Amino acid sequence: MEFILFISLLALGYGFGRYAENAHFKSIRERERTLLHIPAVATKKADASLQPRETMLVSGSVVVSVDYFKRFIASLRNIVGGRVTSYETLLDRARREAVLRMKQQAANMGASIIFNVKLETASISQGQGDSIGSVEVLAYGTAFID
Amino acid sequence: MEYSNQEIPEGINYSRTHPLKEFFILTFGVLGSLLVLFFVLTLLADKIAHLIPFEYEKDMNAFVDATDWPDPEMQSYMQGLADSLSAGMDLPDGMEISVHYNDSDIVNAYATLGGNVVFYKGLLEKMPGENALAMVMAHEIAHVKSRHPIRSLGKGVVLMIVVSMVSSSVGDAMVGNVVGNTGVMALLSFSRSHEEEADELAIEQLTRLYGHVRGAEDLFKAIKESSDALSGYELPFLKTHPDIDSRIERIEALSTRQEGATLTPLPDSYSGWLE
Repeated sequence: MEFILFISLLALGYGFGRYAENAHFKSIRERERTLLHIPAVATKKADASLQPRETMLVSGSVVVSVDYFKRFIASLRNIVGGRVTSYETLLDRARREAVLRMKQQAANMGASIIFNVKLETASISQGQGDSIGSVEVLAYGTAFID
Repeated sequence: MEYSNQEIPEGINYSRTHPLKEFFILTFGVLGSLLVLFFVLTLLADKIAHLIPFEYEKDMNAFVDATDWPDPEMQSYMQGLADSLSAGMDLPDGMEISVHYNDSDIVNAYATLGGNVVFYKGLLEKMPGENALAMVMAHEIAHVKSRHPIRSLGKGVVLMIVVSMVSSSVGDAMVGNVVGNTGVMALLSFSRSHEEEADELAIEQLTRLYGHVRGAEDLFKAIKESSDALSGYELPFLKTHPDIDSRIERIEALSTRQEGATLTPLPDSYSGWLE
């Protein structure tokens, strides 16, 4: 009984997780293309030739949770070590989505570029045992509005 | 200065390995090697447990779950049967068998530490004759003789230590469970060899005492009927005891050559004892 439950949770996690991931990646790529006209750069100091009318803090944050299947693989990885590939796609999606949300905010303000972009990651479920549930990725920077 | 972003190249920050491939490699690799580890460690425990002196077992009575005998005559009959069976078994010095009774309806009997054998009322009620009773008795005594109780305990303790060490270092309740279940499988597949060994010894003693093994298969048939009715379907791999059909077959194969052998009935007062 326990075993059947476990297998169905794994299958559910795999099915939904895989579907959501593919759909998300597709949407990320599309939006990245449409927002390419607002570069997000890590440079701290802007070129002197740029004279923005206004600068504004923009930020985008994402909270993602890991599915049962990925978590199971990751815990087995804990024993033998190596690349936790199941979390890599998850965090890649989270980072890109956070940058996209930040860019979207800048676009709504009519900004042309974002400087000093920084990314931060925080584990939401820290402290609840050793379980790794959800992570937050925050992207922020200074938007130049002409 | 011009600032621009390029489209982000795919497959650098994450691996393109298919998650299912990763899943199968890890599951079979990790759980498989854990299974091997459990198996080797329990095998070692099984091999060295008999070095624990039998004297020590006698002090561990916590495993005997017995009630009073319904009749002192029944106790002496059962103890007498045990003694006449164990007389031929060449028990090591200091090893004595004591038979106990439990008035619960469970259809079972077991041997435990210190040479204690416990019979449940539920099983005794199903006894078709003395030959069947002797088969169970000899089977349990064989467990004691081969030190199976202490060996199982040793295996269980070793397995528990290793499983809790591994699952606590994994630090995840879910994987901990899976690891634990893997351990139980290693333990179960093991005890079955004990059961088969005990059956062999019991058949030997039955032949010595009665000259044949007829009558023993009747008991297994009766147990089979009642367990069919109770539990319905069970996975053979998860059962501790060997498949009951193969036990019936084995005993029947032996007893077909023994046509005409006379069965020994139970004492006249037997059914009265159990009322």
